Amino acid sequence: MSRLGGHQAEGDLAPPRASRQDHSAPLERDAQQDVDALSARLGSDVRSMFSRSLHIRTVDTGSCAACESEVRLLVAPHYDLHRLGLFFTPSPRHADLLLVTGAVTRAMDGALAKTYAAMPDPKVVVAVGACPLGGVYSEDAMVHGDLESVLPVDVFVPGCPPSPLALLHGLLVAAGRLKEKVEASDFCFRGELLDGGAPEGGVPLR
Amino acid sequence: MTSHADLRNRAGVGNAFPASQPREGERLADLFGTSEDSEVLLRAIYAEDRVAVPSEGGGYRVVELPVEGDRYPGISDSDPAAFVEECEIYEQFGVRPRGAKPLNRLLVPPHGEYRFPHLGSPAPKELRAPHYVAGPALEFPVGPVRGVAQESLYIGLVTSGEEVIDLYLLLWHKHRGIERRLEGLPVEKALFFVERAEGLSAVANSWAFCRAVESVLGWTPPPAAENARAIALELERLYNHAAAVAALGQATGLSVGQAQGEIALEQLLRLNAAVFGHRYLFGVLALGGVARLPDMDALRALLPRAREELAHVLEALFSTNSFLDRLEAAGVVAPEVAARLGLVGPVARASAADLDTRRDHPFGAYRDHRVDVPTRPAGDVLARMEVMDAETRESLRLVEELVAAGDEAPEAKGSAAAQSSGTLRAGSALGWCESSRGEVLAWVDLDGNGRVRRARLRPASVRNWRAFDDAARSRNVFTDVPIIEASFWLTVAGFAR
Ligand code: SF4
Repeated sequence: MSRLGGHQAEGDLAPPRASRQDHSAPLERDAQQDVDALSARLGSDVRSMFSRSLHIRTVDTGSCAACESEVRLLVAPHYDLHRLGLFFTPSPRHADLLLVTGAVTRAMDGALAKTYAAMPDPKVVVAVGACPLGGVYSEDAMVHGDLESVLPVDVFVPGCPPSPLALLHGLLVAAGRLKEKVEASDFCFRGELLDGGAPEGGVPLR
Repeated sequence: MTSHADLRNRAGVGNAFPASQPREGERLADLFGTSEDSEVLLRAIYAEDRVAVPSEGGGYRVVELPVEGDRYPGISDSDPAAFVEECEIYEQFGVRPRGAKPLNRLLVPPHGEYRFPHLGSPAPKELRAPHYVAGPALEFPVGPVRGVAQESLYIGLVTSGEEVIDLYLLLWHKHRGIERRLEGLPVEKALFFVERAEGLSAVANSWAFCRAVESVLGWTPPPAAENARAIALELERLYNHAAAVAALGQATGLSVGQAQGEIALEQLLRLNAAVFGHRYLFGVLALGGVARLPDMDALRALLPRAREELAHVLEALFSTNSFLDRLEAAGVVAPEVAARLGLVGPVARASAADLDTRRDHPFGAYRDHRVDVPTRPAGDVLARMEVMDAETRESLRLVEELVAAGDEAPEAKGSAAAQSSGTLRAGSALGWCESSRGEVLAWVDLDGNGRVRRARLRPASVRNWRAFDDAARSRNVFTDVPIIEASFWLTVAGFAR
């Protein structure tokens, strides 16, 4: 499990900014440079590991709607996740990665469990924002308070809400986690012939 | 323009709850319950929307309606706008209007294995799901897990083919019980949750809450803080309207329009971060003032680009006929319906209701800065888009005016820090604000130690979702539903809070 540092639950999350004197271009450029640098790493990882396609399903479990807004912006022109080979999918059956936002309400238990169960193995779960970390709502009759008490969480992305930049970073870590899981799974055929052949149903990793 | 109250008074229905008679020209803005020593007390809030000098109470009247036993004279009989609230009160306090009118489940989920808490003591007995479909029509279930990064919500689409015959919503999946959570919290802590009740209207909701608390405690925020609050509120309106425009582009399959809208949105969010330190303006307001003043230099430097981007996308969309054709006559909310259901904000203004709390109930910096309120009579998606377009221009103008006003009074700078050292008092008061979705109300009852006894949050989404089914029914097909949803631009979080 990886916890990303750098962002607090409260008061995040301006993109890194340049000097206070000149506000016009540098702010834009700096933020965009970070986005581009991260994107390049994420893109090459996804390309090499998952043949250019990693699919994401989102579930909202009681967010304040700001996290949703940031997740939606991942596919907007400034971040453009598609060019990196990551796609949102409406069907959990096609999804490798589950992005969960919100306070983890008990009313969403059924829908969340069904979505998770419908995803093929191996899969990773990314908790988005302070809510599923347990930083906003304590456990009570309405909410679980954090996601870990319901699902095994692989990556936490803190922030309230985490900026798209933080989300990109989180996806990078998640892609790494997924790669580990793929390699550790027994259907994975690494090129050498074991006992005279690949495991049944085996697929080459690269 | 016809006001809500005129239209309702024309209906001329008598009211059985003597104390709850609206006066001439009044609109029922909210109805909620409180429980004191196991006695349930209802409070109705009436608003008199007049373009006028601020009157006592700011044009709002809070009426107390004591309930004897577990029944009270129904208010929704004469004022249908109250039905949703009557359901909520039944769910939370177990008291119901007289008569056999069935009440809908609203926020407490029907998941039997948990004992979901209520605000009052007695748990209600029967609550039904609001719909039952039979005959040749079928119900097409959508949700609660929906499209990419869309909020959880169940839509029951009733159809016999392509036309939407009926539509109903279940909005309880996101209910976090924030009003209950606020009970007993110190006001500063409560503010943290108020912001997160509806993150996309964080400024509006927290401003309403702050105003309510400040009027109980008798605090007056310094002028620089009022100025900063208004700038934050207008920036919030700008990014929300940009997001709605992008969503309209997406819903109509216009990728270029969507991308342009998202570029404007991202720029406005980065502007927020540069000016106030948070992309969604959380943590800007504080009780008695603001937590931080805006970085005016950044605002002056970044606003022209954002304005250009907004103008660009709006102009392009308004000259794309295929886009406009798609919006016209889709999702009509008739003016009578808007009045009957007590709608607020751009949705109401696009249906001929001339309402805006910034103008009708001036508060804070809006006492000195007049707001021009656009209205349209058609009530369709196009009318809502036109209203949002006009409001975007007006907000840009207001931001400039507020920035200039902030420059004129430099001596007020630095005195905007929140004053939390004032005297503490017990009492209750109402606060209000105009979010990008419409009128926001917050009513608080404080004990003498600066803690919340009961807080009622009424984001604009609470009011406007009730017109969604009506809008979707009006001769629309499946693919109109996302377009209508984008034009309403409500949050489930705000309703389910
Ligand atoms: S983490 Fe913060 S921004 Fe995200 S849903 Fe929770 S309260 Fe809203």
